[in-house]
Amino acid sequence: MKPIRLSYNRVEAGQTVASELAYVPITISTVEGSVELQGLLDSGSTVNVLPYTAGLALGFSWEQQTIPIALTGSLSKVPAYGVIVTGKVASFPPVELAFAWTQAANVPLILGQVNFFMKFDVCFFRSQAVFEVKPKARRK
Amino acid sequence: MSLTELFPNVKLLPRADKLRLIQFLVVELAQEDGISLLTPGAEYPIWTPLNAFGAAETLMKMLENHKAASI
Repeated sequence: MKPIRLSYNRVEAGQTVASELAYVPITISTVEGSVELQGLLDSGSTVNVLPYTAGLALGFSWEQQTIPIALTGSLSKVPAYGVIVTGKVASFPPVELAFAWTQAANVPLILGQVNFFMKFDVCFFRSQAVFEVKPKARRK
Repeated sequence: MSLTELFPNVKLLPRADKLRLIQFLVVELAQEDGISLLTPGAEYPIWTPLNAFGAAETLMKMLENHKAASI
């Protein structure tokens, strides 16, 4: 399968080339809802992180969550629960993604090692401000 | 007060105060240009959950259970 090639995006607050980051458009779905978001490709993040408002838009109820997730960094101060959703990037087949749904609202949608980078092969060409994404190669 | 009046006074300042003056001017100019600078003592969030291995293990187990349940 051919990769999609996308450009680094400049975040709102930033004004320099250094503030450009790799955001990939992704549709996150559950049986109750669907949201289109810009996911930050964060290879330093151990897990995927879903912002609070996005979780609500997907139909999750905070009170009904049962699997707490202990995050690190600034997110360690905020409670989080594990949720499973379907993620679709471009015209690639949808995949199951596990997210730490945080109560923090001002956090970006973070796509991290578990399990976005296990489902997609990502190649960064930072010097050219572009990156490529494609589904992981199937094992023969 | 004009610059010609100010400079002799600035020269009399101790070194630490001269450095504070530089810092003050940098912050002042940056604010005028709408550039946000890091403030000493302020806390800035780092959203990336680095080395959150326990969280990763829990999510992996959730995925396994989800897969098993859907078979």
